[in-house]
Amino acid sequence: MSEHEYSIPIVHPKRGRPSAVWIVPLIAIIAAGTLAVRSYLHTGPTIHITFNSADGIEGGKSEVRYKNVPVGRVTSVDLTPDRQHIVATVQLTRGGASLAVTDSRFWVERPRIGVGGVSGLGTLLSGAFIGVDVGSSTERESTFVGLEKPPGVTHDQRGTRYRLTTTDAGSLAPQSPVYVQRQSVGTILALDIAKDGKTVDMEIFVASPYDQLVTESTVFWNTSGLDVTLDASGLRVNTESLATVVAGGIEFGVRPTDPATPPAKENRRFHLFPDYRHAMAKPDEAGVALEMRFDEPIRGTAAGVNVEFEGVHIGEVLEIVPDYDETTRTFHFDARALVFPARLGPAYAKLVTEGTHRGLSGTEMLQLLVTRGLRAQIKSSNILTGSYYIDLAWFPRKGPTNVVAKQGVWVVPTEPGGSEKMEQHVESILAKVDRIPFEAIGGDISNATHAASSLLGHLDANVMPAMQGVLTRAEAAMGALRESLAALRDNVAAPDSAIQQTTRSTLEQLDRAAFSLRSLTDYLQRHPESLVRGRASGPEPK
Amino acid sequence: MTRATDVGLAACATCELVVRTNGVGSCPRCGEPVRFRKRHATTRAWAFVSAAAILYIPANTLVMMRTEQFPQHREDTILSGIAYLWSEGAWSLAMLVFTASIVIPLVKLISLGVLLVTTGQHSAWHRQGRTMLYRVLEVAGHWSMLDVFVVALLTAVVQLGRFAKVEPGPAVLPFAGVVILTMLASSSFDPRAIWDRGDNE
Repeated sequence: MSEHEYSIPIVHPKRGRPSAVWIVPLIAIIAAGTLAVRSYLHTGPTIHITFNSADGIEGGKSEVRYKNVPVGRVTSVDLTPDRQHIVATVQLTRGGASLAVTDSRFWVERPRIGVGGVSGLGTLLSGAFIGVDVGSSTERESTFVGLEKPPGVTHDQRGTRYRLTTTDAGSLAPQSPVYVQRQSVGTILALDIAKDGKTVDMEIFVASPYDQLVTESTVFWNTSGLDVTLDASGLRVNTESLATVVAGGIEFGVRPTDPATPPAKENRRFHLFPDYRHAMAKPDEAGVALEMRFDEPIRGTAAGVNVEFEGVHIGEVLEIVPDYDETTRTFHFDARALVFPARLGPAYAKLVTEGTHRGLSGTEMLQLLVTRGLRAQIKSSNILTGSYYIDLAWFPRKGPTNVVAKQGVWVVPTEPGGSEKMEQHVESILAKVDRIPFEAIGGDISNATHAASSLLGHLDANVMPAMQGVLTRAEAAMGALRESLAALRDNVAAPDSAIQQTTRSTLEQLDRAAFSLRSLTDYLQRHPESLVRGRASGPEPK
Repeated sequence: MTRATDVGLAACATCELVVRTNGVGSCPRCGEPVRFRKRHATTRAWAFVSAAAILYIPANTLVMMRTEQFPQHREDTILSGIAYLWSEGAWSLAMLVFTASIVIPLVKLISLGVLLVTTGQHSAWHRQGRTMLYRVLEVAGHWSMLDVFVVALLTAVVQLGRFAKVEPGPAVLPFAGVVILTMLASSSFDPRAIWDRGDNE
């Protein structure tokens, strides 16, 4: 261009350096990113829980709580397609994400008032929430079926589960307590009727450390309700606690005689005894079926009455079958009983030893006993309650009778019951009393009373007025008499009365006359001749 | 049309004194630097708009306000709060909040985006309309902080312990960021650029 050839560099229009203002969106990205990450970290998975009713649950409001810590929120509540249940969609928090495992359980926590106490009172004000019991599984799950009631035992409670089988569950129900030494140490988790419908299976939970008390030889028994027993011993009432009276309960323990055994394994199956007595009774070995034929009425004897031997309760009557004998045309009753001779303890052992020693079979052994006089007899055990039992007693004077064994059942001969005899006596006395003609006697007495009554009436009417006249006159007579007597006293008793004086002079003359008479008789004694000759002269006899 | 820039004239942005300049220097009256155009206007505006757009997402998805009204506990995003107001029957209030918190920021972002794109392309498309749009943005932008004000006010006022409590949620800061950034963006945008390099009539 010009002579001065300057080579002046030309500035670059603009370096590609970004403006400092771009820091602002960078910060915005970081901030938004942080928030997003935080939000993501805070949100856990979404799960669906099915319940029977949405009572108390509200979408967007109800919380899900684990140990009362919020771990999620119900976002919506919908009906299932079949309209049978509701589905609560729950957004768990990040911390609650671990709750969504296969064996977690969900339930709606509402205020509940039960026999065992009141729970969930807080939900009265705060509204219902969904409680969760976290399972131990690690497998994820997003769909759950909610429980209608809080579970009796949560996964975090340490303890052991056992199974019980019983024929009569009584008032037991899930949540019923399990006691040991009258202390509540567990609950019944579930109760189900066995497939055959005859027994009830239960799952119970015993909290640690009391599960160590459940050993192989532990017995469980039902303590539900009032145990009122009216039997040979009289009236007994047993209860555990007021709660068990209403809600039922189970107690366990060991028989005092049982040796110590190791703790039972989880899910070990036990038998649930109906009551303490049954539980504590020694487990019976094989029972022996007996049959006893009674010709007398078996009043008061029914299935379940005791069979005693020498006062030891060795069995029970299973059933009583009335029977008719065509040949004798009489009724009799077959009492079928199951006895456990092992309850006699050492005595039975010795009998068995004796039997085996002599090479006798069981039937022969019984035959031996019967030969010695063993008989079955119905006896009254309690006159007040009118209960009876069957006594296997000795009647040595009875001749030997054969023991019949039919179809493995031993038939024991019987003896009319003592009470029966006594009753007959009483009855005959009563019959005599009955024959007394109380009615006729009563009639007679009544008649007599009537007669007496009329007689008295007659006396009253007729005799009394006359009597009155008589009395008046008698009174007058008495007055006259009194006067006469007074006059008489004046005349006779007074010392100067004329009668007195005359009497006295008369008596004096009489005295003298008597004296003269005596001297005459004396004289005549000495001189009897004077009667003929007359008085001799001479001295006067003295 | 000849621009002031073309004849070396510029107006001071503060005192509006028209001075002759080559693009460098300050106003002889008030001392404010005088430029033909705002510096890095487009770049800055883009930066602010994009930052605002980014923050707009958490502002609307995160929880704006936590209300503890015994026994209820609520957590509301802006949209769920509006829905709640609507369901409660407060339609006018719901509309107001919806306009102030959702529509205006969104409109601002979109409008700024449109202005920046068209300006960057030196488009001659509806220059007057775009200028008008910018003016509206400037005026309306002041009203979009409503939500933040509401939360701030309630948080301060409603503190009754267990029974009633209002707490700001994590969305408050992004929301405030959106509002501030859009305001910054619109203020850094130079509307004169709309008319630059347009060889129209």
